[in-house]
Amino acid sequence: MLEIANLTAQAGGFRLTDIQLGIAAGECHAVLGPSGSGKSTLLGAVLGTRPVMAGRVRLANDDITHWPIEHRRLGYVPQQLGLFPHLSVADNLAYSARARRVPEAEYRPLLDRLVDITGLGALLSRPIATLSGGERQRVALVRALTADPRLVLLDEPFTALNESLRREMWWLVKDLQRERGLTVMLVTHDLTEAYFLAEHITVLIEGRQEQSGSKVEVYRRPASLAVAHFLGLKNLFPATVARSAEGWIEADCPVLNARFRLPGDAPEGCAVVLGIRREDVTLRDAAHPPPPPSEQVLTGTVQIVDLGSEAEIHLQPGPDAPVIEVAVPWRTVQHFGLRDGQSGVRVGLPEAHMFWVKAP
Amino acid sequence: MSRRPGPRGFRASIAAALAVLAFYAGLIVSLAWFLDGEVLNRTLFSERSFFSVQLSLMAATVATGLAMTLAIPAAYALSRYDFIGKQAAETVLEFPIIVSPAALGAIILIFFNNPLGEWLQENTIYFVFTFSGIVLAQFVTILGLSVRMLKAAFDEVPVELETVARTLGAGSRHSFFTVTLPLAKNGLIAALILTWAKALGEFGATLMVAGSMAMRTETLPIAIFMRLSNADIEGTVALILILVVIGLSALYAARRLLGRSAHA
Repeated sequence: MLEIANLTAQAGGFRLTDIQLGIAAGECHAVLGPSGSGKSTLLGAVLGTRPVMAGRVRLANDDITHWPIEHRRLGYVPQQLGLFPHLSVADNLAYSARARRVPEAEYRPLLDRLVDITGLGALLSRPIATLSGGERQRVALVRALTADPRLVLLDEPFTALNESLRREMWWLVKDLQRERGLTVMLVTHDLTEAYFLAEHITVLIEGRQEQSGSKVEVYRRPASLAVAHFLGLKNLFPATVARSAEGWIEADCPVLNARFRLPGDAPEGCAVVLGIRREDVTLRDAAHPPPPPSEQVLTGTVQIVDLGSEAEIHLQPGPDAPVIEVAVPWRTVQHFGLRDGQSGVRVGLPEAHMFWVKAP
Repeated sequence: MSRRPGPRGFRASIAAALAVLAFYAGLIVSLAWFLDGEVLNRTLFSERSFFSVQLSLMAATVATGLAMTLAIPAAYALSRYDFIGKQAAETVLEFPIIVSPAALGAIILIFFNNPLGEWLQENTIYFVFTFSGIVLAQFVTILGLSVRMLKAAFDEVPVELETVARTLGAGSRHSFFTVTLPLAKNGLIAALILTWAKALGEFGATLMVAGSMAMRTETLPIAIFMRLSNADIEGTVALILILVVIGLSALYAARRLLGRSAHA
């Protein structure tokens, strides 16, 4: 549905370069990145508010790179929602049809259906100023769909909401996406929001496209150290490729005093960074069957951090070794009888769950 | 860290506000010393005063209309777009504010004495010592102010709203008239009335371009000047009162209009 090829766009002194991105019809694609990564510039290039210096933006086979905004047929929900404060809810929702001079008989069925799904019926006569945060979000979302858009652009529209309202809105987006077969481009810095709503993710960092792929791929195999840092990964250890053959590398990690065999290609002597998610590190005790050869076991002293729904264990394998973070449910802590400051605790790093990236 | 004023600072600030009020009210009330009922009556209902009031209202209205016609698109462009010469344009807008009206009027007069000015007057409208000259003098004086006030009004309307309107299928003109203009309405009304009031009270530039000819280019401020020059203090006071009443009525109307739309 949306295809962005070799796109370079500029916003003031900031430049977003060489973006390649595709969104299939009916799919939700999240564009993730920290502040200043170029998310808004990319959104502006698709929206038509940022000039495109090079490359193409195609939407449903139309090259819309230089089309006026009003001809692109996009639904747009900005961060501040962009509701028209001088109009009632009903007039906000009817704005698109009136602007396009669509007869009421034509637009009414779609509008009624959307109002029905989102439960906005009781709010139609209300002025925007009297709506709660969640109600405003729903009005903005429905209004964006009234023009039957080919692509819906969501620019961090749920950041101002509290946790429970935010989840409610995520479900509403999912329901609407299923019901209407919407193609959505979601711009956000919220990892949970991106993983909840999107099937595919693109990570932008400092104006570059660092990674694009399925959310599982981005989650499991960050393409660079910058992406790993952005995703909040803490278990990152410097290593050097000792051997390389037939799509596998063996990397020596001196800080953990261990060697890992991982899939991929890199020349011998290449500096790399090994990583593993904290929920993929396993706790091991004597009762466990011996670990498979593909799992390195490290022993150290632990600190236990209470995160409410789960515990985070910080294991220090040696005085100069980096801390290994392990996320486990509380019942596991109780099962292992772990105490804060306990020594001799063993954790396993299964190679199947590890990834590596080139050291910067 | 900002601090709210304590009781002493609070009282001092209220005293300052009341002092401002007392200052202006005192000046106006002091006119009563020279107020003569018979002269006031004669002046108010004289043909010459009627002419001055009519001329002032007409010239101020035409000048304001012309200024707003140019100022609305100019202010919108300055508020919304980056273009070559934008900074220079914004600086030039300060020009009528920092240069005295008399100097502005002199500039206009000098312009009409150069070959281009002479050609323009001969082939289009004659400005010097005419009604058109009064309008031109007022127009030049208020244009910068009206653009600045209108730009501030447009700046208050987030660009995002226009972008959303356009994604909903509205062209840029439609989004301007259905979103930007209604939301900038209060600022527009304020700009309209204040620039009109400023045009009404304009003196220096008008005197330079249109002169001070009784029953011809005698706007209210010019009439005040002419009567004062002839040491007709009572007549001057009567005309000042007319000007004050018209000006205050305009400001009161503006406040009522803005108050009503703010609560609509």
